Amino acid sequence: MAGKGGIEVEGTVVECLRDARFKVELSNGHHVLAHISGKIRKNYIKIVPYDRVLVELSPYDLTRGRILFRYRN
Amino acid sequence: MNTLRFTAGRPAVEITRVAPRLWHALDDDRVTGRAEATTRPDGRVFLSVDAWHRSVFDQLVRTMLTTLPEPLHTVVDETDHELLAAWREAGLTIRRREWEYVVPTDPRVTGPALPPEGVTLVPAGTAEDGPLRELDRVVRAEVEATVGWQEMPAEVLVRPGDTIIDPAKYAVAAEAGEYVGLVRVVQVTRLPRIGLVAVRTARRRRGIARALLVHSLGALHEAGIERASAEVNEANEAATALFEGLGARRANSTLELVRHGR
Repeated sequence: MAGKGGIEVEGTVVECLRDARFKVELSNGHHVLAHISGKIRKNYIKIVPYDRVLVELSPYDLTRGRILFRYRN
Repeated sequence: MNTLRFTAGRPAVEITRVAPRLWHALDDDRVTGRAEATTRPDGRVFLSVDAWHRSVFDQLVRTMLTTLPEPLHTVVDETDHELLAAWREAGLTIRRREWEYVVPTDPRVTGPALPPEGVTLVPAGTAEDGPLRELDRVVRAEVEATVGWQEMPAEVLVRPGDTIIDPAKYAVAAEAGEYVGLVRVVQVTRLPRIGLVAVRTARRRRGIARALLVHSLGALHEAGIERASAEVNEANEAATALFEGLGARRANSTLELVRHGR
């Protein structure tokens, strides 16, 4: 049985941090610390500042997220 | 802000197989972890796992490892120490490293695009479709006959039929009436990516790849773009020398890990 997914929010990458983390500004102005999803990594998709991305927020900590998708410019 | 990859704690989750190669970790009916296995065109199976807690990650990995036939592969950013440690503890070992280079586009840094005598450069968007596709087929056959697809990143893996999706993204080198080398530059985001550089085996070591690259980078520079990115297999000394000779610098590295069948 499939369950409910997490909260997904669009945002913009503002900074690439150490340890493969990214600071993302969400469309509501909040900032989250995000890492990339396994699927993005597996497909060698590179994330750089100013990229527009879709972030899934952690249900355990809303200041953290996972980048699910990088939009085309 | 907490900079650890995994959140502390051990939530009680239920692992559910929702498709033949897809598992979910459910915490009170909410999906808090996912694990997926996909098969690349070369037949190798790659795993990806997303979880907020290390214990959930481990549960998902254990489930896949006990279900799927080995060898199994995954890809990890080398600076993601926690994730790398988690995969290694699951029994995967490093198979190869791929450097990510940031490549300058400025001709004052890269130097002039001078092809060897008898070779002409055909700018992106003007290459003839038929000869381009023929060159692509030849180059891929040469790869298959030499280093093999396992040494290539995902996007240059062999696929059934034609592999040229958008001919306008290719600049080529021509000699004696045939195409002998190509470079593909893709610009999806602000940082263009050099997706493929290839020269026919018999025409190598003459500076064709360098001339193609400098030419393509120069076109980006004219469009106001200062940098591009490229991935290079650490074991590929010729490609490393080519990019570093253009002033490219290493920015990151990706590790491919494998767990071999027993």
